[in-house]
Amino acid sequence: MHSGSEAPGSLHALSRAALALPILAIPVEAGAAEIGEMGFTILGYKERGLMKVVEPVLWGKARIGETWEVQANVALDIVSGASPEGVSNISGTPVQLVSAASVTDRRYLGDVRVSRRMGELTLGISRSFSEENDYRSHAYGIEARWDLNERNTTLAFGYGQSADSIGSTLEPTLDERRDTREYLFGVTQVLSRFDLVQSTVTVARGRGWFNDPYKFTRTFYPDGAPAFLFDLRPSSRDSFAWLTRYRRHVPGADGTLQAEYRYYSDDWDVRAHTLEVAWQQSLGERWAVRPALRYHTQGAARFYSPVVPRPAPAELSSDPRLAAFGGISTSVRGILKLDGGLLIELTVGNVHNTRDFRAGGNGSPTYPTLQAWYGILGISRPF
Amino acid sequence: MALHGFNFRAMAAEHELQLHCEDAGLARAAAVRAMEEVARIEAKYSRYRPETLVSRINAAAGGDFVAIDAETEGLLDYADASWRQSAGLFDATSGVLRRAWRFDVERVPTEAELAPLLALIGWDRVERSPGRVRLASPGMELDFGGFGKEYAVDRAALALREGGIGSAVVSLAGDVVVLGPQPDGAPWRVGIRHPRREGAVVATLPIASGALATSGDYERFIEVDGERHCHILDPRTGRSARGFQSVSVLAPTCLVAGSATTIAMLKGRDAGLAWLRGLGLDHLCVLDDGSVVSSFARG
Repeated sequence: MHSGSEAPGSLHALSRAALALPILAIPVEAGAAEIGEMGFTILGYKERGLMKVVEPVLWGKARIGETWEVQANVALDIVSGASPEGVSNISGTPVQLVSAASVTDRRYLGDVRVSRRMGELTLGISRSFSEENDYRSHAYGIEARWDLNERNTTLAFGYGQSADSIGSTLEPTLDERRDTREYLFGVTQVLSRFDLVQSTVTVARGRGWFNDPYKFTRTFYPDGAPAFLFDLRPSSRDSFAWLTRYRRHVPGADGTLQAEYRYYSDDWDVRAHTLEVAWQQSLGERWAVRPALRYHTQGAARFYSPVVPRPAPAELSSDPRLAAFGGISTSVRGILKLDGGLLIELTVGNVHNTRDFRAGGNGSPTYPTLQAWYGILGISRPF
Repeated sequence: MALHGFNFRAMAAEHELQLHCEDAGLARAAAVRAMEEVARIEAKYSRYRPETLVSRINAAAGGDFVAIDAETEGLLDYADASWRQSAGLFDATSGVLRRAWRFDVERVPTEAELAPLLALIGWDRVERSPGRVRLASPGMELDFGGFGKEYAVDRAALALREGGIGSAVVSLAGDVVVLGPQPDGAPWRVGIRHPRREGAVVATLPIASGALATSGDYERFIEVDGERHCHILDPRTGRSARGFQSVSVLAPTCLVAGSATTIAMLKGRDAGLAWLRGLGLDHLCVLDDGSVVSSFARG
């Protein structure tokens, strides 16, 4: 660069004029710019004696050069107390049962995502895996983000494909596959200096084995032999999900409103609405607190039934996740920023799902009320 | 060593001092000197107050010479050096453009509105002789906005040093001087504001000492037909700078750091980056597409 030979002269001339004034010249000493981050998160989950999950996650994110970015996550799930479960009417009305067999399982998860910015376009590819002794999943995805309007508008397009292998410790010969293709389209719009809205539509088409090998339904009849059915679900599932998020920073209150609404529907006739509202309040330089309230309501899958009718249908599941119910979750997160960029976040939350919370009533009568506490501890720091 | 923090308001913005000092009384005394120094500079060079020296020079434009002191001469020498080194882009008489650019209404001035103002711009028509200054034409204006705040940061840092403080940060609305590392030797961590996300930082710099200035297109701007027009205006065209969302530069003085950021913004993306590389000063720029260019070594 030819101007390079002239510019040190510029610095000299400016410095000489500046230092003719009664001010200090302070020797410059600075370290590397911190643009990447890495962190460690532990998620603990306890569900009223039913299941306990501990999920330590290690993640990192780094910018390489001016245009590349790499993100990676590695996680280990430890699930204890997970048990085969089913619904039986042995005591008269159908109730959720947990069989005596108890499983402790480990699940390994990892994903890596590489993206490259080329002006207004950012292209990314991702690869992920998840593995436990009876389940394996591999997925890849490609995505593009297009910034418009001085980055005030961002369009996102994504495609993902996953291949899952399903086995069972109860049935060692089980070896089934499921393939899912996912398409995503999203828009992020900066509305003003203080608020932005993001809306994303995801359409997924799944083909293959959807049965849960650990779920069963057992029904006794006043007359005749009892029926026992393993989970029997359709061999395809097409779903549509629409998530809209809104964030608004309120400078006067030094807080941020975070609201989101998600609509979900699939061709199993499950329809769900989820609304979450949170407020993140800064308390001085170091502390922030974020209370959140979440409401979820869903309708049952068309083949959901807690009892096996006679004659037995071709499709039937008593899995409570496919029932009609509603849930309210509350959580509080404390955020502490320490010197060195260390960020500590602790979230404590409660989940309460019951048939009575379903919007408009009509919750599935046999839906087992679930009450659980969870805690998430996250630590991250720049490097 | 205890850390003492002081917040104060001057030049229509919020400022902050943080300093390490054993004695709370000494800390307070040094901070008060620094804050008084900022207030003194504002009272002398603000263009918004009719009684200031700058207002008197502007009121006399096209008329008589106005007597100035050594400090003002030094600042005008600095404005002259900036004008020369930027080949006329940094012009202390370009403040008249504010008459057409009102950033509280979303309207872009027309050529017809800008033309008479451009005719009033020209550092080469600031007549100076020792101890006095005169603006050649009526309507011309001197504006210390491009370097007055930076000078105030440098002066506040000196006031703290003279008050016996060795470890401090002076922050005047985004312009920062780090006087020395923290008592345990650790650098201060200075966050650079994200130009598009309120309340977020785009990068964090560990600075043990030095002056960091940032210019951005987010301080005062309007958006018309999807195009952003910011308050950094080109004295040749009267139009807003393009190509950067923000430019931060680290230098031994805030004055030099500040002129380097403004000149880079005015030069535009490619010429601006070349200018910064040529200066040899560490910089971190957010380009108009949002990508970050940084010369600060990566760890």
